[in-house]
Amino acid sequence: MTPAEPVAAVPSPTDAALIAAWQGGDEQAAAELVRRHARALARFLAGAGAPEADLDDVVQETFIRAFRAVGTFRGQCRFRTWLLTIGGNVLKDAHRRAKRARVVPLADDLRSSDGDPHERAVAAEAEGRLGEGLERLPRLQREVFLLRAQQGLEYEEIAAALGTTPGAARVHYHHAVRRLKECLK
Amino acid sequence: MKDDATFHDAKLQELAQRLGARAAERLDVERTAQAVVARLHEEARAPARPSVWSQPAWLRIAAALVIVAGAGLVARSMWQTPSGAPAPVETVDLSDISAPQLRELLRSFEQPGEPEPVSSQDVGLEDLSPAQLRTLLASLEEQT
Repeated sequence: MTPAEPVAAVPSPTDAALIAAWQGGDEQAAAELVRRHARALARFLAGAGAPEADLDDVVQETFIRAFRAVGTFRGQCRFRTWLLTIGGNVLKDAHRRAKRARVVPLADDLRSSDGDPHERAVAAEAEGRLGEGLERLPRLQREVFLLRAQQGLEYEEIAAALGTTPGAARVHYHHAVRRLKECLK
Repeated sequence: MKDDATFHDAKLQELAQRLGARAAERLDVERTAQAVVARLHEEARAPARPSVWSQPAWLRIAAALVIVAGAGLVARSMWQTPSGAPAPVETVDLSDISAPQLRELLRSFEQPGEPEPVSSQDVGLEDLSPAQLRTLLASLEEQT
């Protein structure tokens, strides 16, 4: 019995390669970028206050805007980080439009049916309070907090994406944390 | 991130990482990818329709009209007396004019002559004839 030959792992194309392929007319490269980043984007948007009922639309719109403007992306930060900041802009526009006819979405915890009901209720309450606290924060503080605490980005990366300095991003983050802790007390 | 004092608050960090996770899990990523590609494909096939206002000629005309209208408004406001009463008209005693002078004056009224050059500073739009308006527009276009 001959030992199995080691299979060379095919490296997946980088975001930059996929962007170049998309710019060259490869639609499947765009689809791959969506597959790669859609969930992280959805998590960021949901954390920033996107109603779940609209989440798919907001995610799609974010990708469409990103692909339209991809020529302006200069690699100052990672593609995903750039995408998240575009998502923040799309969400802001969506909130502005929704102000006229506000629909309150059914909360996650009321729809979910898995797990222990008590634990679920406690977790949902805490998440709800955090969500409310985030909604009350200024936009920059909210986005810095989510990029840092939810997405795990460094201040340098956040600063590059939001067009600010790492020091300012750090200050925004600390202000956000202080105010959110108040909400969770 | 270990040096970040705020991250000692495990509860906040854990909550932040959980935030939106369930909603994101429910997202149908493949369907989203296909929808995005379909929209991009649709946009690429749609012929680009340049806006009327993106054409330089229309922009120049619009700019000229705005300048003329603005100048007219300024001129009009400058000409109006503070009380709103009509400006006094200077009267001429015809008895002071000699016969040749009077004939010259009459001739000048009878002969319309060439349209005088018009400045945007000294007339309102409503005072201009079509020919004067054309002249003014042409001069403004030359300036721009």
